[in-house]
Amino acid sequence: MIPSSLTVILATLALGVVALTAFILAWWCGHFRDLDAQARVIFDSRELRFVRPWETSAQRLEREVTYGAPLPGERGEWGGAT
Amino acid sequence: MSRVWLLLVGAFAALSFAIVLLVLVPRALLMRVEASPGLMPYTTSELQGREVYIANGCVYCHSQQVRDPAFTSDVERGWGSRATVPGDYVYDRPHLLGTSRTGPDLINVGQRLPDRNWQLIHLYDPRALNAWSIMPGFPFLFTEKAPNAVRPGDVVVVIPGPRAPRGRVVVAKPEAVALTDYLLSLKRNAPVPTSATARERTAGPLAGGMSQHDGTARPAP
Amino acid sequence: MTHSQLAGEAEITSATTGAHEHGPTDLEIRLHADASSRLPVLVCYGAAMVWLVVGSLFGELASLKLHWPDLLSRDAWLTFGRIRTAHLNTVNYGWGSLAMIGTSLWLMPRLVHAELRRARLAALGAVLWNVGLVLGVGGILGGVSDGMEWLEMNRWFADPWLVVGGGMIGLALFSTVAARKAEHLYVSVWYIMSAFLWFPMLFLLGNWPSWSGVESGAVNWLFAHNVLGFWLTAVSVGVAYYFIPKVLGRPIYSYQLSILGFWSFAFFYALNGMHHLVGGPLPTWMITTSITASVLMFIPVVATAINLHMTVVGRFGSLRYSPTLRFVVLGAMGYTAVSLQGSFTALREVNRVTHFTHWTIAHSHVGVYGFVTFIMFGAMYYVLPRLVGHEWPSASLIRWHFGLVLAGIAIYVVALTWAGVAQGLALLDPKLPFQISVERTHWGLVGRSLGGLLMTTGHVVFAWHYWLMLRGRQPARARPPFHEARPILYTEAATEAAAAYRKESAVGAARSER
Repeated sequence: MIPSSLTVILATLALGVVALTAFILAWWCGHFRDLDAQARVIFDSRELRFVRPWETSAQRLEREVTYGAPLPGERGEWGGAT
Repeated sequence: MSRVWLLLVGAFAALSFAIVLLVLVPRALLMRVEASPGLMPYTTSELQGREVYIANGCVYCHSQQVRDPAFTSDVERGWGSRATVPGDYVYDRPHLLGTSRTGPDLINVGQRLPDRNWQLIHLYDPRALNAWSIMPGFPFLFTEKAPNAVRPGDVVVVIPGPRAPRGRVVVAKPEAVALTDYLLSLKRNAPVPTSATARERTAGPLAGGMSQHDGTARPAP
Repeated sequence: MTHSQLAGEAEITSATTGAHEHGPTDLEIRLHADASSRLPVLVCYGAAMVWLVVGSLFGELASLKLHWPDLLSRDAWLTFGRIRTAHLNTVNYGWGSLAMIGTSLWLMPRLVHAELRRARLAALGAVLWNVGLVLGVGGILGGVSDGMEWLEMNRWFADPWLVVGGGMIGLALFSTVAARKAEHLYVSVWYIMSAFLWFPMLFLLGNWPSWSGVESGAVNWLFAHNVLGFWLTAVSVGVAYYFIPKVLGRPIYSYQLSILGFWSFAFFYALNGMHHLVGGPLPTWMITTSITASVLMFIPVVATAINLHMTVVGRFGSLRYSPTLRFVVLGAMGYTAVSLQGSFTALREVNRVTHFTHWTIAHSHVGVYGFVTFIMFGAMYYVLPRLVGHEWPSASLIRWHFGLVLAGIAIYVVALTWAGVAQGLALLDPKLPFQISVERTHWGLVGRSLGGLLMTTGHVVFAWHYWLMLRGRQPARARPPFHEARPILYTEAATEAAAAYRKESAVGAARSER
């Protein structure tokens, strides 16, 4: 019936191929490399080091190891509640 | 290629795909749909009444579609003798299919409740007829006149029971009359040509949806 | 610092490489981003707050009328069919859209590390949008409606204002992206940019005057469902993807999952619309396509849920400290809940019971309120201090707001879902007169009004607090306002730098319209 009609098949192919091409182009141009850096673009250099009052000591240690020496929470940036 | 452009092209393609599949292709197919047998275009008064229906948001409590009896009990409940098909709606601009049955389905109300007076009373004050009803009244579609102010040609509505306004006569405004004309025009029970083959009928619920002519779709021109 | 210095060529690389020797520092970039968007964001948020309160009042009145039908029923402009429609349009195109537009205008400069371009044009656009909305809703109350649900505002004297205003806002947003300095496009940028592309396409399609018959039904629900998905959901998910990692100080759990989540979302969501018409007079294949797409939505929804959950896991204690996280995390859970509920509801066997009942309304409020509105509340709690330069004056008002709306939506959803199922089961049984379906919903509808009352009260509390915030009342205490918590605000050094920047931009404003 309809799903077997030529029009639908061609329309699906046309748009699907466009999407697939876009994806392949993106891959080829390297947009999928270095995804970890993409995930970190929202942070600035200090805020990953702020002490956060809800974290356990294991979590704080992990933070120190990954991002560097802890910074005391600045007034207004999540810290200083202790 | 810049990732912004790639993103926009991809997003555009995703939505366009849906529009083609769910709007443009059906449009090409449904443009062939003809009115169901016996269905006439709305008269001027009925169209005015339809505008009153839209202006007051009737669609938010009342649907206008009868679903396949193999699927559910709309037909058994008496809301229609058959499922409604696209040909029933060709003169509807826009559709008023509705998504809510706070009140009953109305697509065949003209057949089910053909008494004009009942309709007028019900519009003025639903609880004058059904104490359990939560439908709002539409007193602003009526005028309440002193008895000696009633003129010949006025559509007088006699409200039964204790909820009638005392010492006043309820007269329907043209909007109420038009709305009633529209409601009484809602009849979609004429049988549609069932040239749908047995195979289609047993293909499952709603398979008859396209059976206006021969049930098979021709590719869009 | 002048504009030209700020527009300097320095690229911002990954945070772990630390500050740079030349070009603006991270803090300055943030400050300038926030300062550049201040005017249009405040216009959007202010208007959004007004619509939130007005829309809630319309909603509460509509709810009361369903179990007290003679309430205020004498006047045409107060009839249920107009009040309900006014509620839908004010909360969606007023509160929801403007809160999202404001948040997007604030967020985009932050994400791309460039100042908001054409900020005053965006502010003007927001004003025009509101003009259109006033005309549109006024028209609805006056009985002027285009007839299709979600598209009622008059297409000639109301909608064009939204098109022009929205276009101005879109222009500002896209110019800002074009001027970006950040090397990477964070996932929130994809969601927001796509939403600002999709919404105008949908708005024009839906409002096009030529549709009739069952085709208009298909267009109606393609529009309405995609406004939910490609506008309300897309921006809200993008906002959640920013605030959850940001406040927690942890990058999103899996960037790969966000890519999968976004693209499957884009391709499956668009096809969902016909699930509002299951059983209706449309070709079966269209409805089946939508049901299939609705079930396939499991993929992006679960991907997003895993991503956000794994980012928060082990740190749920943060919800005690941060009002932003309280609302955004619950909102993200609301997204998962409403989407899984939606996939389930689209199945024909379930739809047989739930279609045409109050279940659908309960479901839509889990989404537009429990998900979108909650996320917008969380976003506003974060953004406002950065725009006005001081923290929220009262911890108590934040707690009241949160408690009231949470209790409100919980009661709302439970009461109305129960009413919907009772109604649906009664409707299915042809031996039961219609009257039974109405009577069985009564107490659920009363419960919904109670929930709505709590929500409306919560909104009034929030609006009052917003007003106090704008008036600049400095909190007169040394300790943070929360019980063991402190909301985010500027540091003293940052506040001075921001004030100096704002003064300087006022002087230099005429020069640089980019």
